Amino acid sequence: MRRVALCRMATVTALGDGLDQLWERLLKGDSGISSLDRFGCDNYVSRYAACIDNLQAPEGASLLDSILDRVAMQLPDIPADSRLLVASTKGEVDRLTEVCRQGNPIPHGVLFEPLLAKIANRFGLTTRGCNINAACASSTIAVARGAAMIAAGEAESVLVYAADLVSEFVFSGFSALQALSAEPCRPFDQERKGLTLGEAGVALLLMSETCAKSRGESPQAYIAGWGVANDAHHVTAPARDGCGLMLATQQALKKAQIETKQISAINAHGTGTVYNDAMELTAFNTVFGDSLPPLHGVKGSLGHCLGAAGGVEVAIASRSLQQQLIPATVGCVQPEAAGQGQLSTASQNISGDYLLCSNSGFGGINATLILQGVG
Amino acid sequence: MTGWVNGIGWVTAAGCNCGRNTDQQPLLPGTLEIPKRKQVFAKPDMRFGRLDQFSRIGLAAIAFCLRDAGEEAWDEKRPIGIIAASRYGCLQTDIAYLQTLLPEHGKLASPNLFAYTLANSFLGEAALRFGLTGQTLVFNQDDASGLAALHFALEELTWSEQQAVVTGICDLNPPPELAIGDECPGSLFLLLGKEPSTAVTSYGKLELRDGELFFSGARVADFRSLVAKCLAVGV
Repeated sequence: MRRVALCRMATVTALGDGLDQLWERLLKGDSGISSLDRFGCDNYVSRYAACIDNLQAPEGASLLDSILDRVAMQLPDIPADSRLLVASTKGEVDRLTEVCRQGNPIPHGVLFEPLLAKIANRFGLTTRGCNINAACASSTIAVARGAAMIAAGEAESVLVYAADLVSEFVFSGFSALQALSAEPCRPFDQERKGLTLGEAGVALLLMSETCAKSRGESPQAYIAGWGVANDAHHVTAPARDGCGLMLATQQALKKAQIETKQISAINAHGTGTVYNDAMELTAFNTVFGDSLPPLHGVKGSLGHCLGAAGGVEVAIASRSLQQQLIPATVGCVQPEAAGQGQLSTASQNISGDYLLCSNSGFGGINATLILQGVG
Repeated sequence: MTGWVNGIGWVTAAGCNCGRNTDQQPLLPGTLEIPKRKQVFAKPDMRFGRLDQFSRIGLAAIAFCLRDAGEEAWDEKRPIGIIAASRYGCLQTDIAYLQTLLPEHGKLASPNLFAYTLANSFLGEAALRFGLTGQTLVFNQDDASGLAALHFALEELTWSEQQAVVTGICDLNPPPELAIGDECPGSLFLLLGKEPSTAVTSYGKLELRDGELFFSGARVADFRSLVAKCLAVGV
């Protein structure tokens, strides 16, 4: 199996543009969650979300266009022959909502095919690639597939691009499902009451080691393992025994050819919903036993960025490995008993070469990635 | 990269059926009839009637596909994935959800419809009914041949520990303003196994070589012709 290098990353989140700013603010314990003014929230159970500052849609277009520009500006000169894997759950859903509100015909532009063309053009790629929709595990799975393509020798360079918006469409839906927290979310806290939505754009450039070397790219981390599994339990609720996440994690460990004790930290999904967080702690305690490493979640800082969540978390994880530090789990004041000693509202030092990231989503899907540091 | 076509099932303008029951091409232009529970499952099934139309045609075609392969019944969960290509995804469900959201500014937003405004939700329905623990995803790609799902599935079958992948296409009739004219609406899935089935006669071997697909040694031009070749085997 060929080694897969994570060479370059670009992020746009509620904590600013670029990974440097994001990392700095995460270490300060900042949160991008604030009162929402994009649409009226009077009929919803929450008024909080983590929105990107100064996001403006061109006339008749989507806010995604602005995110794409701001991400692409950070990643110039992507190899034109890179394969493109996009991960977005709802694409230009703000535009769809607006045309339906006005009773206008649905424009072709709200489909994923033109979105793929737009993204490929913006990065100067020769192929349009595909969009992967696996709910909140979409970008995690896109990274896994990109890594698999490179490892198998089917690709030399893969660009993973993920983006999703805070939209009234999604906000109202989670509100109707009673899944939103009335206050900013508190991942893994005993008093957690639901999630807070966020939005992000992220691009990750993966390359074979040979390709990275020949193009003068410096690997920031390696994608050492990956696994994907379905709970086969419920459409919207996670399996309480964490069976799917355990399976995905075991696959990733096997692919990376490492043991649980070699994982130095976990960047968990940590949505702040009662059942998701309990499921994750159950799964990780079962898989890791006495060797459960420090773990954290960033959704108290960034909100839940849906299909883009995993991609952003991979970027953060690469920085964690470089600096041997995981940021605070903002909002986790009284950690669940199953995570006590491992979760903190302050940054934690870690020690080791591997970090595990996981995401789970509607449809019972779970995906796990293992990153390896370059040291 | 190889896989064995062990089952075929569909819900299309030609109706719903399994590959072993007919040799008639099911991928036809026309209007899609959304199947009722009795056409798909013999036993009462409360959930099926509550599903959105996109999920119903997807779930039903997967059920027919697994039935065709002798894999519908199960005792223990199985490492089988589902990879579905879709041009429009759950757009019709999105529009139906917006019709509950917009009139009263969110007061009447339907939680049941919202749960199916992710294109992959029906894969969760299929996974839990049939005990499938593999990778489940929907992807969108500009693909005139309709073969992209098979490329994707064969790669994943080769690169992962999954024993089989249910793969194919799923699309409702699009809104008229988005129709491109030659659509064959519906869902059609193949069960690709790493090995030929031990329960039924396999339709044949599918190979991916240098970016091209071959069925029983002959090059495949598009999804429709692959289905025709499989049905012509007469298993």
